[in-house]
Amino acid sequence: MRVLLVHAHPVDESFNASLCRMARETLEASGHDVDFLDLYAENFNPVLSRDERLAYHDAEHNRDTVAPHVERLLTAEALVLVFPVWNYGFPAILKGWFDRVFLPGVSFEMAEGKVRPCLRNIRKMAVVTSYGGSRIRSMLAGDPPRKIIMRMLRATIRPGARVHYLAHYDMNRSTDASRQAFLSKTQRVLEGF
Amino acid sequence: MRILLVYCHPVPESFCAAIRETAIRTLKVGGHEIDLLDLYEENFDPVMSAQERRHYNEMTLEHHPYPEHAERLKRAEGILFIYPTWWYGLPAMLKGWLDRVWTPDLAFTIPTTEEPIRPLMQHINFLGVITTCGATRLFSNIVGHPGRRTILRGMRGLCGRRCKTLYLAHYRMDVSTPESRRAYLAKVEQNLAKL
Repeated sequence: MRVLLVHAHPVDESFNASLCRMARETLEASGHDVDFLDLYAENFNPVLSRDERLAYHDAEHNRDTVAPHVERLLTAEALVLVFPVWNYGFPAILKGWFDRVFLPGVSFEMAEGKVRPCLRNIRKMAVVTSYGGSRIRSMLAGDPPRKIIMRMLRATIRPGARVHYLAHYDMNRSTDASRQAFLSKTQRVLEGF
Repeated sequence: MRILLVYCHPVPESFCAAIRETAIRTLKVGGHEIDLLDLYEENFDPVMSAQERRHYNEMTLEHHPYPEHAERLKRAEGILFIYPTWWYGLPAMLKGWLDRVWTPDLAFTIPTTEEPIRPLMQHINFLGVITTCGATRLFSNIVGHPGRRTILRGMRGLCGRRCKTLYLAHYRMDVSTPESRRAYLAKVEQNLAKL
């Protein structure tokens, strides 16, 4: 399967980066064709510009400035996102990837003000993430990243596609044991991908 | 009240700009002091660098990446966010502003095994969100309003215990009409006049 693996953490020696390395190795070892998109390494610009906003609903031209990214998204059969949760949301670099690449005509179609999702090529998805906030605090805040993934992104990809949401909460108080357990759990899920 | 108005939209002639003008006018009539922060105009860089992330947990105000913004946050008594909702959340630029400016030692303390997170923004007594959504109200409810929750629950937890909140949204922006937009501006005015 062609897997688009997206990473959004700036620090190479972070736990998040080790999760991503493990994800890549595990997927490749199972014979998947991994397209690795490291948003920081590629210096992705997450800021939707004035021109992009003005061309947003023009399905013929709205992808001009991000054509290679659209291509990578549309040729993927599975999507794996590895990122930290900061302030109960995605890091800006990842939020901007959604803002600029998940365009009308790419991930959804607009008809009479109604949205129809169309990212049917994605038939499997996994999210691997680490939160600063504890599970209870995140739940009280409504866990926005989990909702976007499980409700919005899930509705955008092929209907019925399996979605895994793997989260290590309370990173600032994590231990070697908790991190190791999370790595193993994530590896098991990706081996079955 | 001294209100920091955080505005984030790339198009100067957008409807969000009309909302911003209505908000400023109404708040000034109400005797409030407005400090306008226009993130696109400032060309704010929302991407936290590796170096900044490495030092984030030990961040002190002295080493804040945006000391001027930190100072403005400290002086504020209320914060009003005006932005378009994209992908059910904040535009990347605004999200990055929260990540890079609401730092430890300014907004909260990093939790340790002995002590949970401690909020440091108790001087904020009002937190408002005025936004526009492409989606319908129903679908926004189903998805669970992630953008609203990031600010009004997540960031709200760092503010004063009695901090008031306000949330206004114009849904289905793509099929809005001059009437719907006018009615929304009137609603903005009505709500902010009560502040």
